[in-house]
Amino acid sequence: MELNEKIEGVLEFVQKAPRYTGGEMNTAVKAWDQCPLHFGFCFPDTYEIGMSHLGLKILYGLINREEWSLCERFFMPWVDMMEQMERENIPLFSMESRHPLRDFEVVGFTLQYEMSYSNIPAMLKMGGVPVLSRDRGEEDPIVVAGGPCAFNPEPLADIIEAFMIGDGEDVMTELNRVILRRKQEGLTREECLRELSRLEGVYVPSLYTVEYHEDGTIAAVTPKDAEVPPVVRKRVVPDLNDTYYPEEIPVPYTEVVFDRIMLEIMRGCTRGCRFCQAGILYRPVRERSMETLISLAEKLVSATGYEEISLSSLSSGDYSCLPELIRELMKRLKDKRVSISLPSLRIDSVLKESLEETQQVKKSSLTFAPEAGTQRLRDVINKGVTEEDLLEKVRDAFEGGWSSVKLYFMDGLPTETREDLDGIADLARKVVNEYFRLPKEKRMKGLRVTVSASTFVPKPFTPFQWEAQDTIPQVQEKQEYLKQILSIKGVKFNWHEPHLSFLEACFARGDRRMGKVLLTAWQKGCILDGWNDQFHFDRWMDAFRENGLDPAFYANRKREKDEILPWDHIDSGVSKEFLWREKEKSEKALTTKDCRLGCNGCGLQTWKGVCGFANRSGV
Amino acid sequence: MRIVAVFEKGERIRHIGHLDIQRAVQRGLRRSDLPVAYSAGFNPHILVSFASALSTGASGKREIMDVGMAGEVTAQEFIERMNRAMPPEMQISEARLVEDRHPAMMALLTAASYDLTVYGDGTAETLIRAIPGLLARDIVPAMRKTKTGLKECDIRPLIYQLKAEGNTIRAVLALTEREACKPNMLIAALKEEAGITDDPRILTVRTQLYGTGADGKLQPLETL
Repeated sequence: MELNEKIEGVLEFVQKAPRYTGGEMNTAVKAWDQCPLHFGFCFPDTYEIGMSHLGLKILYGLINREEWSLCERFFMPWVDMMEQMERENIPLFSMESRHPLRDFEVVGFTLQYEMSYSNIPAMLKMGGVPVLSRDRGEEDPIVVAGGPCAFNPEPLADIIEAFMIGDGEDVMTELNRVILRRKQEGLTREECLRELSRLEGVYVPSLYTVEYHEDGTIAAVTPKDAEVPPVVRKRVVPDLNDTYYPEEIPVPYTEVVFDRIMLEIMRGCTRGCRFCQAGILYRPVRERSMETLISLAEKLVSATGYEEISLSSLSSGDYSCLPELIRELMKRLKDKRVSISLPSLRIDSVLKESLEETQQVKKSSLTFAPEAGTQRLRDVINKGVTEEDLLEKVRDAFEGGWSSVKLYFMDGLPTETREDLDGIADLARKVVNEYFRLPKEKRMKGLRVTVSASTFVPKPFTPFQWEAQDTIPQVQEKQEYLKQILSIKGVKFNWHEPHLSFLEACFARGDRRMGKVLLTAWQKGCILDGWNDQFHFDRWMDAFRENGLDPAFYANRKREKDEILPWDHIDSGVSKEFLWREKEKSEKALTTKDCRLGCNGCGLQTWKGVCGFANRSGV
Repeated sequence: MRIVAVFEKGERIRHIGHLDIQRAVQRGLRRSDLPVAYSAGFNPHILVSFASALSTGASGKREIMDVGMAGEVTAQEFIERMNRAMPPEMQISEARLVEDRHPAMMALLTAASYDLTVYGDGTAETLIRAIPGLLARDIVPAMRKTKTGLKECDIRPLIYQLKAEGNTIRAVLALTEREACKPNMLIAALKEEAGITDDPRILTVRTQLYGTGADGKLQPLETL
C-alpha cells in the first residue's frame, strides 16, 4: 500500500503518466494470492511500443487463461519516470497489481530487436532482480526470454537463464509448469534449469562452455555433459488453427503505435529473400483458415470496440484466399463500421480487386518494398519483384485514388555498386512519372513519394550471415550520394542513423563476449538506445575498448565457410548448407523460386509434416 | 431518443486526457452493441457528447455523457450493457432517457463541486486557514487561460461554496462555457492568501456537475 502511495505521488510529475497507470479494458486483474505462478512479462521498450506488439497480446492471454498462472506487464519507463522512481525508491512495478518485478517467479523478456538490449539490465536492476544469472539466489526469479532475437542468444547468455527458441505458444506453458515445480517441489535453481533444458526449444546457456581461437573466432561450443542437448531445435506449432489466439486483447487508453486489432493470418513466408531473417525463423508457412479468422475477427471486434483490423503476416498478399477473406470480413463487419488494412503489401501479389475493396473503407498510404534499385541487385537478394510489376501496381494505386506511396530500400547490400544506388533514384522518378501520366482529373491531389533507405544489417540464419556490413564512413558516403540524387520534386528521402545499424550488426552476430560490452555500456548510462535522443555511440565505443573487443570484428568482417558461428548450436530448421548454397547463388545473381512453386530443400523437409510445401515438385 | 448517463472517471485513470476518455467511451459503446446513432459522413462516429471535459490529472465521481440512440433501449438495459463493456474504472451509475429536443447537457451546465485533497506536512492546514480570509475579500484576482492567452479575471463571484474537512478542501465553483473557476485557479488564490509559493501535491476529484433549476438554485445536472 505504501508503494502505491509513492507511485501516485510521482505520477503528477512525469510526462505521459498513462504509460504507468494501467487499468485498460481487457487487462487481467487476477487475484495474486490465488495463482501460484506469477509471470512478469517484460517488454524492453516504452509502453507505446510494447502495447503495439502482437506477441505480447498472445502470451498475455495464454498465460492468464490458465487458472494457476498470472501474467502482468512491465515496460521500460521513460527517463523522467526513472529519475522519480530512483529518488522515491520505487522499484519497477507491474501495470496490473503494481507488484515489484522481484516478486514474480518468472521474469520473461521478449527480444524483438537488438537495440533494446540495454533496457534489459536496466529493468532487472530497477525491479530488484540481480542482473547477472550467476548472482541470483534461490529466492530470485528465473529470468527467461524469447522472440526472434533469441535465435542468437549468446550476447545475453550472462543475463538470461533460459531462452525459448521459435514459436512460443506451446513451450510457454511447459516452461511455466517446470518453474511452478521449483516453487511447489522445492527444486533448486540448478535443478530447475536442468529440467528446462530438457524441454524442446529451450536453451540454457549456462550448460554450455565456449572456447575461442586466438583470432577471436569460436573454437568450440560444448555442452557440459551428456544430458545437455548439443543442438537446440526451435519449436514449431504445426497448425495455427489449433493454436491459441486471444479473443480479447487489452485496449490502451492512449494512442499507441499500432492501435488496432492485429489478425495474424499466417506465419512464415515462402519467398526466400536472402537478407530476411524473419523469413527463415518463422518457416514453414502456416495459414489460419478463413473460418478461424472470421470467427476471431468477430470476437475481437466485440471484445475491443476497435475501428480497424489489420491483417498481419510477413507477406499477407500471399495468403491463399486473400480476396475471399477480405470480402467476407468486409461483409460481416460493415455494420460495425470496421475498416480493414493490409500492412505489408507485397507488390507482386496484391490483386487490383482487393486494393479497391480496402480503399472503400479507408485510404491510407501504400507501401512497396523493392529493397534494391536494380534488377541485378534484386536478383542477388532474391527479391522476386520486377520494375514492371512495381510500376503496374503503382499505376493501379494512383488510378484507384491513392496519392501517397512509400518505397523501402536498403543500402550496403552485398555486391552493391554506384549503379544500384542510381537505380533507386531512377525508380523513384518513374513512380513520379506514373502519377503525372494520369490525366489531372483522374488523379488524387498531393503526390507524396517517400523513399526510405535503411542500412543492411547481416543477420544470423540468413544466406548473408557470412557477409561484412559496410563501415560507417562507407554508409555515410552512400547516404550523401542518395540525398543528392533523390532531390526530385514530389520525393522525400529518409535514411537510418548508421551508427545504430552498426551496433545492431555487432549484437545481431555477437558472441558471449558481447555481453560484457552490453554490461559496461549500461553501467556507463546507455539505455533506450533505439531512441535517437538517448543514444550515446561514444559510450558504446568506450565499452568495446574497455573489454578489449573490436566492433569491426563483429560488424565489418566477412566470415569463412568453416567458421563456427556463435549460433551454430541453435537449429532453425533451415540447414547451414542451404544457406551457404543460397549465398553462392547470390554471388552469381541467380534467383531461387518461391517454395509454393516447388520445394527448394531448405532443411525443413526433413522435419516430418511441418511444412506443407516440403518435397513438392515444381508446377 | 438520447440517453443521459452518469459515469465515473476512476482515480487510477485520472491522468487520461479528455480526448482519450472520449475514445474509450466510443469504444465502450461499440462493445456494448447498443443501438447507438452514428454521424453521417466519410468517417462516421457515434453521436456522444460530454457535459464537460475533465482535466488531465483529475478524477470524476459523476461525469455525464449524452448518447444519441438509433433504436429503443431502457435506461436499465443501457446501464447493464455498458457496465459489461466498460473497464472497472469507468462504470455507469445512472441513466435516463430524454427526447431528442431536450437541451444538450453541455448547455445546461452552470457549476461543479470538487474535493481537493492536499498532501504534504502542514500544507493542508495552511491553505485551509486561508479560506475565511479569501471569502472575506470583495475581489479575488486570478489568471484564466483563454484561447488568446492568460487573462485576468475576478473569481470571487464564481466561488459558490468553500469549506474544509480534514485535509480536503470542498468547493462548489462556477462552470459555464462563458466563465469558470477551475480548481487550479482557486488553489493559486488560496496559496497567495496563505503566502506559500511551493506547489503542493493535490488530488482533484470532481464530485458533481450542476445546472440551475427553475428556482434559481443549483441542481444535479443529470436531473435537469
